[in-house]
Amino acid sequence: MTTTTLLASTVAALAVGAAAAFGIGSATALSLLTQAAIYALFATGVGLLLRQNGMVSFGHALWFGSSGYAVAILLQTHAVPAEVAVLLAIGGLALLAFVLALVIVRVPGVAFGMLTLAIGQMAFLTASRVRGLTGGADGMSLDWPATLFGASVSALTRPGPMLMVAWSALVLVLLALALLLRSRFGAITEAVRDNEERARFIGIRTMLPRAAVYALSAAVTATAGVLSALNTGFVSPESLHWSLSGVALMMVVVGGTRVLWGPALGAAIYFLAKDVLGDHAQHWMAIFGSALIVVIVFAPQGLSGILLRLAGKRRAAPAPDLHAHAETSHA
Amino acid sequence: MPDYVMQTEDVAIHYGGVKAVDGVELTLQRGEIRGLIGPNGAGKSTVIDAITGRRPLTRGKVHLGGEDVSALGPVQRRRKGLSRSFQRTSIFEQMPVRKQVELASWKMGTADPGADADDVLHELSLDTLADTTAADLGYGQQRRLDLALALVGKPSVLLLDEPMAGLSVKESLDLAQHLKALTARRGVSVLLVEHDMDVVFGISDAVTVFELGRVIAAGSPAEVRRDPRVREAYLGSAA
Repeated sequence: MTTTTLLASTVAALAVGAAAAFGIGSATALSLLTQAAIYALFATGVGLLLRQNGMVSFGHALWFGSSGYAVAILLQTHAVPAEVAVLLAIGGLALLAFVLALVIVRVPGVAFGMLTLAIGQMAFLTASRVRGLTGGADGMSLDWPATLFGASVSALTRPGPMLMVAWSALVLVLLALALLLRSRFGAITEAVRDNEERARFIGIRTMLPRAAVYALSAAVTATAGVLSALNTGFVSPESLHWSLSGVALMMVVVGGTRVLWGPALGAAIYFLAKDVLGDHAQHWMAIFGSALIVVIVFAPQGLSGILLRLAGKRRAAPAPDLHAHAETSHA
Repeated sequence: MPDYVMQTEDVAIHYGGVKAVDGVELTLQRGEIRGLIGPNGAGKSTVIDAITGRRPLTRGKVHLGGEDVSALGPVQRRRKGLSRSFQRTSIFEQMPVRKQVELASWKMGTADPGADADDVLHELSLDTLADTTAADLGYGQQRRLDLALALVGKPSVLLLDEPMAGLSVKESLDLAQHLKALTARRGVSVLLVEHDMDVVFGISDAVTVFELGRVIAAGSPAEVRRDPRVREAYLGSAA
């Protein structure tokens, strides 16, 4: 995809988001779509780590929940304006993730996943027990000011505008990542993922790119966490729980990581399934789990992989023989 | 300026009491292809690891164009023109062919990595596969891509560790022809570790024979073929 096509797709996606945000009348539908967009961003963060580093995190809720808590605590203390609190939360957590990654990305395979799980659960337990700071198991409300980045918070958090904000964040993050990964940085991280020894031999320092991808992935997930906190006005230890990391990982597996938008597609499918199946079955997750097994077995590259394959076949298919068709029609 | 491009001086790698390589003296002349043969476990790959800095030397020195590079790491040696391929195909499987060759060239500090990559891909007849993902290539093509990654940045010395391993006879001959042609065109010197004797004796200007970590013979292919020690230790009556 050329840069022009990429930019045109971004504009089109933003237009679709605006049409949905201001065209859909149902507040329930808007709320569901907003949640889907926020979780799509969360899954994009998890997917980025898998796509560029080949690493599976079972504890990315750490960054999702921590960003909400960081903003909530900063707002409670009135130490900085809300805009600075938001930027500090995302930037600070990205920095923390980078430092942490310098240690944990050295651990290979399943052990890395277990390490992320342990760190995530440590944060969950801390948030649950430090009642004075986090509200403990009850969580804490966010004391948003009247305006945020020049917009009225009460207007911003209405269903339509909130969907527009979440959707725009998702689209713009995907655009930024697509542009970044086309650069040398993208090529370097792919090289390290594919063959670390060869990458080292051609002069790539393999630890820093891995840590940078982890930090970037944490920043994307933290952005989703801030949006969730804005959407609900509340943050609780559940936002740090490993089960949430598991849900994001399921979205990634369903959507696939061959393309950047794969995990977002997985999130859309997840919320669609939740809405449709949830109306008919109490244990809809069991049905979704079965579908997940089918995807893993028959389409390990996820639904985006299937779509790409179908698109490739369509492109590769010979042009229809119009002459033959005309003859058939005449007959 | 010395005549040689690469020289080892009393190189040894010992693992406790085991002398994997001991007292190896190797000289590679400018534009020369030197075959390095010997039975399995003779220390051929270990010598390549020693020259490229992948394994620390127990004793000895490695000179590149007159400069002692023994204290440098593999990447610094690569930037000084000492390149290698690996025994097992070592490519970036999920990346398109040209993208990875250009990346390798860029990391070597080449002024125009794109042109360098195109040049190398053309020489190895991979230019028509530039946009293909490496995993989708045939094995012979992957071996050539491996060679392409070693060739970017115009190295002066190329150490090839069994580049024909796993190739069919036709693919081996094809790669051997490419190797001979690009050595002449680029003026690169090649140290070729290979078990395919037809290839080694077919394209080498000189051959060195290893046994138990030591050089037992060296000379022109014809001289080496006639050497009774080599016939006894390695080539046997088939030679």
